[in-house]
Amino acid sequence: MIAQQIINAVSLGGVYALLALGLAIVFSIVGLINFAHGELMTLTGYALLAALIAGVPFPAAVLLAVICAAIAAVAMERIAFRPMRGASVTSLLLTSFAVSGLLKVIFQNGVSARPQAVAIPGWMTGAFSFGDFTIGVGPTISIAVSILALIALEFFLRRTVTGTAMRAAAEDFDVVRLMGIPANRIIATAFLLSGLLAGLAAMLWVASRASVDPLMGFTPVLKAFIAAVVGGLGSLPGAVAGGFLLGVIEVLLQAMLPAALAPYRDAIVLSGVIAVLLIRPQGLIPAVRVQRS
Amino acid sequence: MAVMTMERSTSRSILPTAFRNAGVDALAMIAALVLAVLAIYLFGNAAMQRVVTYAAIMLTAVLGLQMFSGNTGIVSFGHAAFVGLGAYATGILTLPAALQRTALRDLPQFLAGYEMSFFAALVVVLVLAVLIGLVTGTPLLRLSGSSASIATLALLIIVYTLLVAGREITRGSQPFYGVPREVGLWTAVAVAAMAIAAARLFRETSFGLAARAAADDERGAAAVGVDHRIARLAAWVLGAVAAAAAGAMMAQFLGAFSPKDFYFDFGFTMLAMLIVGGMASSLGAFTGVVVTVLVVEVVRRFEGGGMLFGLEMPVLFGLTQGVLAVAMILVIWRRPTGLFGDRELNLLRRSHAKAEFSKLEAVPARAAGGSISVDRLSRRYAGVVAVDDVTLSFQPDSITGIIGPNGAGKTTLLNMIAGDVTPSSGTVSVGTSARQASAFRFARAGIARTFQNIRVFPRMTVLENVVVAARVVEPGLAAAEAAARRELARMGLESFADRPAASLAYGQRRRLEVARALALKPRFLLLDEPAAGMNAVETAELVSILAAVRNERHIGVILIEHDMRLVMNLCERIVVIDRGRVIADGTPGEVQNNPAVVAAYLGSRTARARQGNDVQ
Repeated sequence: MIAQQIINAVSLGGVYALLALGLAIVFSIVGLINFAHGELMTLTGYALLAALIAGVPFPAAVLLAVICAAIAAVAMERIAFRPMRGASVTSLLLTSFAVSGLLKVIFQNGVSARPQAVAIPGWMTGAFSFGDFTIGVGPTISIAVSILALIALEFFLRRTVTGTAMRAAAEDFDVVRLMGIPANRIIATAFLLSGLLAGLAAMLWVASRASVDPLMGFTPVLKAFIAAVVGGLGSLPGAVAGGFLLGVIEVLLQAMLPAALAPYRDAIVLSGVIAVLLIRPQGLIPAVRVQRS
Repeated sequence: MAVMTMERSTSRSILPTAFRNAGVDALAMIAALVLAVLAIYLFGNAAMQRVVTYAAIMLTAVLGLQMFSGNTGIVSFGHAAFVGLGAYATGILTLPAALQRTALRDLPQFLAGYEMSFFAALVVVLVLAVLIGLVTGTPLLRLSGSSASIATLALLIIVYTLLVAGREITRGSQPFYGVPREVGLWTAVAVAAMAIAAARLFRETSFGLAARAAADDERGAAAVGVDHRIARLAAWVLGAVAAAAAGAMMAQFLGAFSPKDFYFDFGFTMLAMLIVGGMASSLGAFTGVVVTVLVVEVVRRFEGGGMLFGLEMPVLFGLTQGVLAVAMILVIWRRPTGLFGDRELNLLRRSHAKAEFSKLEAVPARAAGGSISVDRLSRRYAGVVAVDDVTLSFQPDSITGIIGPNGAGKTTLLNMIAGDVTPSSGTVSVGTSARQASAFRFARAGIARTFQNIRVFPRMTVLENVVVAARVVEPGLAAAEAAARRELARMGLESFADRPAASLAYGQRRRLEVARALALKPRFLLLDEPAAGMNAVETAELVSILAAVRNERHIGVILIEHDMRLVMNLCERIVVIDRGRVIADGTPGEVQNNPAVVAAYLGSRTARARQGNDVQ
């Protein structure tokens, strides 16, 4: 039972971590809190649904959907945020907020306001057992995907020129541009990565719920915002730590809270988060920024 | 002490011009509102009256949001939560007792059976809003910028969760119904009028000024003694009160509602209304609500499908949300400050071209005495020692220059003396009990400064820039305004008083920063490269002003400067710093001939050569 809860906690934490990481990458480069991140998830869900209906085999459909998310993220930057380059943080935040609202309306009218069922292959909803433990296949895949994605991202950021430039840009974008690295490429890559991560998170989310609706991305991305702030806004290790922490606390509270208090779970979790921020206003692992006098 | 109180009473009697100006603006907006409502009341039908009532309630809510976000620059999603709390509190307090027994069977005893009138409930709700505002604002506003925005989002989720989960009190996600519908057109308009006056006046109060200054430049604000946390908290609580008042009215306007009516979509609507009009002013909130309500009313006619220009329109979901989103995007792209967000009406200021400026008069100096002493001060940055074991003291009524090559640690030293940078070791004593390095406490203790990269408040007027600082030492806003005008006149900026600081030329902004620092009536004035980027004429002007200021007020001036002619002409004492250490300290003559200084500036070989020349 305890093992099962831990697996659930880590798998939920992994989804939050992927989402928070996507938000943090974009924030660290362009200072944008992307409210439309959730709509990237929703879009991925619909892309998967469309591919499956069109008869694409499941693994290929998943791949297609994740690629869709990455393209959509880059397109979003190109259409909505590039004209805002250099605008204040507030303007960027509000633009993404409006983009998110608009996309929701488009999904509601273009597809359907009702949830659409997604045929998840049977083997993913099964479970396997080790002696006394029964462990779900879904959460296991979820954990494996999260960890692989985190390792791949780490590799990209450490070992490639673009990755190194991105880490540098997170600390001081102006200097990176002076080194001759094109700003557009860095920013596009940041959005591409955040789209990929949102796409993966969406697949894991859909796999556990087997349906897609226009507001699908709303709740997990709200949680990811909080995770990113707890971790330290713009700090990548912080986003991962915050995501896992939030997931673990949520699942543990779910398991331990008495029935009378269960509906209050989110309020309790978020109050705890604010308490953490009281002690560490810059988050658990603060982002490094240059400051010029 | 007696003098202080007398000064206070005389300054109270004169209303500051900023308040008079704001009052006239508020009256003009209220008059426009009342006239429009009167027209609807006389000629409109019941449906139109309902729309206008709704608009007045939204106006109150959006003004609440504007008071916080407009002045602090922090986008808040949390004000929707305050509207929700206000609505539920009013619902419980005003529900008829008989209905309450059937609808809310498990309501705790202490909440049951009040059956208040609307206005009695409103008073209770407003008191509650103050408490909730204080409780939520204190932790939330420790965060800054985007983190604070996200924290307000967390607040919205917390409140929504509580409303849904507290089933005994709120009926959970089911509709809360049966609230008496006593709020009509005129009640809504009266409360909205009060909100207009509050929002328009708040930005001119010392809290409003301080919050706006910190929003424009947090470090600059701290340097003039602004405690941005208190100012933000005041804006937050006041905004919460207005939003809760809107919620109270909303409860009695709708009669039935559920938690999701005050969740994300509602927060989105409030923000969209504010952004379309413009966040930075009450006029923006006012026009934003009017414009969006009109647009939404037009669009709503097509939401259920129908004919438009002979074309059949499909049934559309969430069309109003979509239209709000598009309106918001267009406004942010085309007019980032909103339709009318840039400035208030400023009717009075427009009609009177110039306010009277008091001629230069003797400035009452602060109680003299108290030197700055720096004891074994060091500051390390990840392996780099910027300032290394520096011990110095500075006397009032003197001008000291700090010179040294680039990267010598001059600015770090100055920042530590200003309380802006915490020393790694050692102490700075400024003659008061400021416990720790904190820029705003040091500023209040009489250490004023300017920055290497100018930090004026670009969106505030030139006068407001200086009033922010003057308000820290003056007993009232009227006195602060007079002092600010005096300092502006001293710096030759009086004709720019009502212009936004962003519109000033470079040299003028430098002078504004000095005027702002002097408005603190400092014992010490710290200048970080005051002549950087100035031409010879401007530099000469600055030198004469600084010399005059020092003679008039007997303050200590410490300046970092690379312009050697300025330093040698102006300063009585020069401290030379190289690689974080003091390598020379003395009169200009002594320092100029110090071989270590020559070596630091020109290289050791040149130094030796020069020494050789001197011997010859």
